[in-house]
Amino acid sequence: MLSRRKFIQSSTATAFAERLFAAQADSKRPNQELESLGGVALAEAKKLKATYCDIRIIRYRRQFVTVRLNPERGTGKTLEVPNIADGGSFGFGVRVIADGCWGFAASPIVTKAEIARITGEAVTVARANAVLKQRPVQLAPVKAYRDRWQTPFEKDPFSVPIEERLELIRTAAAAAKKDKRVFSAGCSLSFASEDKYFASSEGSSIQQLNLQTSAQVNATAVDVAKALSKSRRYVPPPVTAGYEYVPIMNLVENAARVREEVIEHLAAPPVTAGKKDLVLLPNHLWLTIHESLGHSTELDRALGYEANYAGTSFLTTDKLGKARIGSDIVNVWGDRTTARGLATIGYDDDGVKATKFPIIEKGIFKHYQTIRDQAHLIGEKESRGCCFADDWSSVPFQRMPNVWLEPGKATTSLDDLIGDIEDGILIDGDGSFSIDQQRYNFQFGGDAFWAIKKGKRAGMVSQVAYQSRTTDFWQACDAIAGPAYWQQWGATNDGKGEPPQSNSVSHGCSPARFRQINVIQTD
Amino acid sequence: MITKEQAQKLVGKVLSFSTFPECDISIGSSERASIRFALNGITTSGFTVSHFMSITSVKDGQIGNTQIDEFDDVSLREAVKRTETLARLSPPNPEREDSLEPQKYADIENYVQSTATARNQVMIPHVRAIVEGAKASGLVAAGFFERAATSSAIANKKGNFGYGRTTDAHLSTTIRNSDGSSSGWASQPAVRIEDIDGEAMGKTAIEKCLKWKNPKRLEPGKYTVVLEPTAVGDLVQLMGFNMLARSAEEGRSFLSKKGGGTLLGEKLFPEGITLRTDPRNKLYSVLPWGGGGRGGAAGMPAGNATWIETGVVKNLYYDRYYARKAGKESTPFPSNLVLDGGTKSQAELIAGVERGLLVTRFWYIRSVNQQTVQYTGLTRDGLFLIEDGKVTGPAVNFRFNESPVRMLQNTIAMGKPVRVRGGEGQGMIAPPIVVKDFPFTSISEAV
Repeated sequence: MLSRRKFIQSSTATAFAERLFAAQADSKRPNQELESLGGVALAEAKKLKATYCDIRIIRYRRQFVTVRLNPERGTGKTLEVPNIADGGSFGFGVRVIADGCWGFAASPIVTKAEIARITGEAVTVARANAVLKQRPVQLAPVKAYRDRWQTPFEKDPFSVPIEERLELIRTAAAAAKKDKRVFSAGCSLSFASEDKYFASSEGSSIQQLNLQTSAQVNATAVDVAKALSKSRRYVPPPVTAGYEYVPIMNLVENAARVREEVIEHLAAPPVTAGKKDLVLLPNHLWLTIHESLGHSTELDRALGYEANYAGTSFLTTDKLGKARIGSDIVNVWGDRTTARGLATIGYDDDGVKATKFPIIEKGIFKHYQTIRDQAHLIGEKESRGCCFADDWSSVPFQRMPNVWLEPGKATTSLDDLIGDIEDGILIDGDGSFSIDQQRYNFQFGGDAFWAIKKGKRAGMVSQVAYQSRTTDFWQACDAIAGPAYWQQWGATNDGKGEPPQSNSVSHGCSPARFRQINVIQTD
Repeated sequence: MITKEQAQKLVGKVLSFSTFPECDISIGSSERASIRFALNGITTSGFTVSHFMSITSVKDGQIGNTQIDEFDDVSLREAVKRTETLARLSPPNPEREDSLEPQKYADIENYVQSTATARNQVMIPHVRAIVEGAKASGLVAAGFFERAATSSAIANKKGNFGYGRTTDAHLSTTIRNSDGSSSGWASQPAVRIEDIDGEAMGKTAIEKCLKWKNPKRLEPGKYTVVLEPTAVGDLVQLMGFNMLARSAEEGRSFLSKKGGGTLLGEKLFPEGITLRTDPRNKLYSVLPWGGGGRGGAAGMPAGNATWIETGVVKNLYYDRYYARKAGKESTPFPSNLVLDGGTKSQAELIAGVERGLLVTRFWYIRSVNQQTVQYTGLTRDGLFLIEDGKVTGPAVNFRFNESPVRMLQNTIAMGKPVRVRGGEGQGMIAPPIVVKDFPFTSISEAV
């Protein structure tokens, strides 16, 4: 395990932010200077008679290397187009409750004077809002913590020489392009860190480091005669981890597969529409879990807080504990502790310790995702730790934890799922996704599709999408492969809220089978 | 908000630290005030100031980039150094265009002080009008009101410098009945916050919500639709990204010709279809530059462009690199779109439809096929049946699978354009239109 100090020294961050987020190796206490800055907001809020205050001081660092191989206009010669960037952001946001209302303000100028000024702005906002108060904000109790937490990692990605990363992505892109029939190919590697300090008037002082690693290989093939193009991607699971995860991604090996499959995709016949059995691989099913089960079980949506934007939910509060969503084998967890999960963290932005809870048990809806100011609205005594903001300049609100599907029996293999299908489709990778504002009707595409005929995987087909209704779909789930097949995929761009925010979240699952789902042929 | 003088000073500092032949700088700052409301009360609100700077250093085609928001001397010096270190490690970029020579930017500022300074005293009365209107009808209001003021600057080592400011405001509301079985929506974007009318918007959404009771379950299939301007904007705004010359020439676009070449100059649409980029339109507040490509290629003076003129594909988007390769002039980027229309009101359009559907807006619109521009999405917050030229009642929502290209090809009547902004994207200026054979593929029970 790399010490935090060494990690910071290896980075090229600016002086002040660097000093703030440095700490003694293995320290369990936040940086004293951060605590002093945080104290300014808490004291100012108290002086202005706010009944609650929290401050988040955050520094982000985002580094990516990418390369694209495409033909030059006129000559057809392959050009290698690189892009390297290493940037970041540093600022703070203050949230208060005054006169029973929330107020929020934020600034990129991290000084004691600005923290005091912005705290005053947050209180002004809260007081102004009180004229249209629906009910006073009520927070579920939380323990006070003084702690440091960080993503478990072995190798600081920012300390790995850029040359090494470039060589890897250039090799992978070249492997994907190594066939004249491949028109263009590319590879990218991205790392992001979030150094976050949280202090609240409840007595918490928490410093956390979150580290994300992700990559992608892609290829496009074009049939000029038909004015037709198709693509294929390999997206390894994006994770919270360090550079030690990069070799596990097998970018070069998978690039060769992408090359072969994009050519196959270009020639693949269109699917015949109709009801078919589907086998969905984890790198596809994660997104269906996310949209249909993840978002429908958010309490803020169920109560109407998202009504103007993302929408509400078909899972209204009267259905809690009773409604059947899926078949008996469907067990789903909300979890901010999953190893390498993108939503995995020590504490949420309410200062609530990360937890794990059942959302669906044997197909029945058991628990919502909640935060401190909502728990009491459904008679719960504590938050389930789902409060998060995507930036120092964003208001924390309810965001999804890692939501994952339990695997099936240890003896169930992927071949078992396929072997029992007469006419079906195997779907790999995510594609088009769309779901209505109450999470009933959805339509998903994919990245590659193979026909399943008489229990065997047959050739690739194209132009596939499936349409279903959340409860019909999950009740049609009749088999899930065993724990050996369980993998988690995810995304860093889950949108919700106004102004819109992006959440990072993972969804683990094993391949699963769904019977007689409506498949359509797209363009 | 960073002033022109402050931007010039920052640029001077950054350039003084630069040791490479080329250095491109982009600076942005903003101040935003927002109010979010739901369940007839304000929920979260905020006041946020932010700023950033992007620095790109280039030598012999090798490029390094960083983005920062700490502007002290130490941070700026380190940032420039970082970009130069990154550039040295990068392979040269063969598609890099040299930094722009000094440009002459038109004075097209449409910055309104009242929008830039509006806070709760100005904004809350609009929210109150909506909430009180909803309560008076026994309904539940949710919504969002935001105003933003921004300032931006671009500069480079060759002496180019541009500075611009924008303001914009946007209020939207969703009104639902208490049991969640009915919903209505309205939205208004405006450069001048005085133009926002919360009470009128609330009335529109309340009226839709009250009318959308016991919706009829219609069979999926192809329908003639009257699309309200927001629904038109929801889909046509997606056309901008599909006007690229490069993807058209490379066989990857709806504008690619079978066997090679592009459909530039072909009449693909009916006579009534004209799609333009119009940054000078007073309904928009834009920067004096817009286009040229990414990174250092950006910063071409903002200008008008016509993409489709009376049904004919008139222009494709060329960034500076691809324009040079193709021996063409580079064009503005297809943003700030205007779909021209006619003079008819929406009511007149409805009166001309024997049987069809009136669509308030679309939602969760995602690409299904990039090449044909096919998208899927759903109707939301007000779908109504039209019979014999009259709106006769609500209909259960539908999912569609359609391309805005085919939609414009099937357009049979157009009304008066207005600026719109739906639930996704920045919106555009669009008229209500009548489209035949619009394909709805399944039913959505969502409200």
